[in-house]
Amino acid sequence: MTCRQIKRVVIAGGGTAGWMAAAAFAKVIVPAGISVTLVESEAIGTVGVGEATIPPITKFNTMLGINEHEFVKETQATYKLGIEFVDWGGLGERYFHPFGRFGFDLEGVDFHQYWSRLRALGDPHELEQYSLNSRAAYAGKFLRPEPDHGMVIEQLSYAHHFDATLYAAFLRRFAEKRGVKRIEGKIGRIEQDGESGLITELVLDNENRIEGDLFIDCTGFRGMLIDGVMGSRHLDWSHWLPCNRAVAVACEKHSDPVPYTRSTAREAGWQWRIPLQHRTGNGHVFCDEYLSAEQAEEILLKNLDGAPISDPNHLRFRTGHREHFWSGNCIAIGLASGFLEPLESTSIHLIQTGIAKLIALFPQTTSAQVEQAEYNRLMTDDFVHVRDFLIMHYKATARDDTSFWDYVRNMEIPDSLKGKLALIRSHGRFFKYDAELFDVTSWIAVAQGQGIGPIGFNPIAGGLTDENLRQSLNNMRNAYAKAVEAMPTHQGFIDRYCKSSPSPVATEVS
Amino acid sequence: MTAERIFVVGPPVRAAIFGAYLAARWLRPGRCLEIAVEGESECSSDFLTRPNVHHFHHELGLPIEQFMRQCGGTLAFSTPVETALGVVRLPFTQFGVPRAGVGFHHYLMRADNLSDQPDLNQFSLSLELEQAGSDQTLSQLAKLPIEFGLTVNREAYAKTLLSFAATNGAKVVHGEADPGNVDLVVDCRVSDALPTWSAQAMTTGAVGAFAGIEWHVMSSAVKRLVNLAAPLADCLPEQAEWTRLARAEQERIADMEELLMADDLDVVARSTLQRKLDVFSACGRIPIEDYEVFAAPEWIAAFRAQGVNPARYDRMADALPRAELLSWIAQLKVQISGLTEQVRTA
Repeated sequence: MTCRQIKRVVIAGGGTAGWMAAAAFAKVIVPAGISVTLVESEAIGTVGVGEATIPPITKFNTMLGINEHEFVKETQATYKLGIEFVDWGGLGERYFHPFGRFGFDLEGVDFHQYWSRLRALGDPHELEQYSLNSRAAYAGKFLRPEPDHGMVIEQLSYAHHFDATLYAAFLRRFAEKRGVKRIEGKIGRIEQDGESGLITELVLDNENRIEGDLFIDCTGFRGMLIDGVMGSRHLDWSHWLPCNRAVAVACEKHSDPVPYTRSTAREAGWQWRIPLQHRTGNGHVFCDEYLSAEQAEEILLKNLDGAPISDPNHLRFRTGHREHFWSGNCIAIGLASGFLEPLESTSIHLIQTGIAKLIALFPQTTSAQVEQAEYNRLMTDDFVHVRDFLIMHYKATARDDTSFWDYVRNMEIPDSLKGKLALIRSHGRFFKYDAELFDVTSWIAVAQGQGIGPIGFNPIAGGLTDENLRQSLNNMRNAYAKAVEAMPTHQGFIDRYCKSSPSPVATEVS
Repeated sequence: MTAERIFVVGPPVRAAIFGAYLAARWLRPGRCLEIAVEGESECSSDFLTRPNVHHFHHELGLPIEQFMRQCGGTLAFSTPVETALGVVRLPFTQFGVPRAGVGFHHYLMRADNLSDQPDLNQFSLSLELEQAGSDQTLSQLAKLPIEFGLTVNREAYAKTLLSFAATNGAKVVHGEADPGNVDLVVDCRVSDALPTWSAQAMTTGAVGAFAGIEWHVMSSAVKRLVNLAAPLADCLPEQAEWTRLARAEQERIADMEELLMADDLDVVARSTLQRKLDVFSACGRIPIEDYEVFAAPEWIAAFRAQGVNPARYDRMADALPRAELLSWIAQLKVQISGLTEQVRTA
């Protein structure tokens, strides 16, 4: 077989990754004259890779032209302003990692430098007091910022919590309406060209054959195409991110949903709490070298806000990624491409960024070595940047109450992270790589929250007099307080604009 | 508490850029800045500053109009580079208008396959305005979607910035000076050494092979120092970071230099340039490295000058219906010609 024009794209697997890819392709690839077919089986359960997201998800939905209220209603979604971390820096401690930003920069100098200076003068106010997101989150408030809301509300940045299964269903309707063809069936075997090794067709259990030119592997951890056929090996990062199992369960909600995710560190991992309109999602991510699955489940069930409404669902995973995300005419997206634990809600983002990069480098023919190499380079960078940020959460801790925390506190970390931590620790400096997802707000929030915050501050923040500095920061706190006061409650906002119908049958994903 | 002291030494324009910014952004009570200007005053040659000159001067608090009067400044829309193939112009503003995340040159390539189209350069407002030749004013450009730098008189620029530094508290001396007991000596002299900040010495390194780079390297070096400035006696992580960033920037400049000066692109020494070359040749995209200096239109112009063109356009350009594509491109051409004419005859 010689190289072929790409005229037919086949997506293997539905779920969040498969339907996000299908929806994006429906929007931009189908109009360019390329057919898109998705193969999935209702007999195979999906592992939604996370119900919590980060702000770029709103760009993805906007790119598709999705009405936000409709999306929130259809997916039992809530709004998310950040993540509360409990017991991470030390037992009994907590901090908030907000979206958006801290304060207002003064004279071209990052706000947090002024905050550090004021703290050095003995001022007691925490960094969170200067984040509209943090303050609104703890007050249970939300307002979608609009252009005429002014410069304070403009700082509010948000994402969503949603039911990943409902999101996949929502995107399925979107994609099918725009020309994506869905085929029900279990993939039995995968045919390759004997000469080139390229995938030629998927053969279903019922012998139905789905031919294609480009194949998107969304088959989850199995990686049926990228691993099973193309042999792209998994690069293991479990020495830095040792958690390898999760148990998830949904529970009844006991009060109005709060607009933030909570992550609570446990003996050998951490527990998530994700509030949706109809229920609360919970899960316990842990390392089975230090904790048995039974113990993990017991800890999870003991720490729910309400009665469980589903059976605990146990998952195994390995942190890391494929050596080649794109191999031959196969591109892995979602869990098939790699996995980083959902501590910072990056799983859906990594799906999104994979899709965006593929669209940007979409090949003309099956012979696309250059595009392939570039895609692999960019995706590797994305994974590495997120990895370093996640490792910081484990490394920067004072916890010494279990062997797990002793291990992560003392483990060697990548050089790329060492340099960053040294800079942040000394004077709160942070330089973002071009392709890096998390910015200075995120790094400073976590570093400060976990006790490795800046020792000093940038001397050019010394430009204001002490009195002017106190006054400026006091003004900011007052402005944030007033803005939060004026905002509707999170539940009130949902009730008014995007309340979902009463719950369908509860579905559990993690 | 002992005062912190920085000593800047180098030729006029380099020492002036570095010193003026330090005077504006770093100098405070309890700190001392001395600028030692070496060599005779520089010749009155042109000195190109890139588009971020506006932000730089805004940070200094020097109004751009006043500054242009003092330095005999004119607007610059591209970097002219002397190469073996003649002068290549690298425009500061994008070609045409991107659409749905796809660069304009992809649409033009598709349209050209359908019917003959004007050259890509005719869709560059930067190149068209430059070619129009008359002296545009800032007010004429205020409403145009265009990036521009300034070409100034080198000697006047150095004098203006040194005078600004002195007014803001720096001590400016001409000729040899002994730094004495200082916390940091910034050596702005031209050298082949890699940019480095180690202990009490910083070297800013080479000039760059073409216009605009000298200004860019010096201004970003001093901005980086100010952003990283910690107590100078205790800043090992900051020193390492300054060095890393400055060298990364130099790598990006070296990529462009090799591209423009190469006799044979089949033998490219730099892997990052090779990647750009491969990806652009294959699909017309410019892979971005960390800390890029040059923007996409500059890379596109440089590749085209070297005869490198994409083998294909971005398939997403096919999403636009044929008739709409051709009419959009024709309208865009008319708009760019109209804007150029408007500015020329104003």
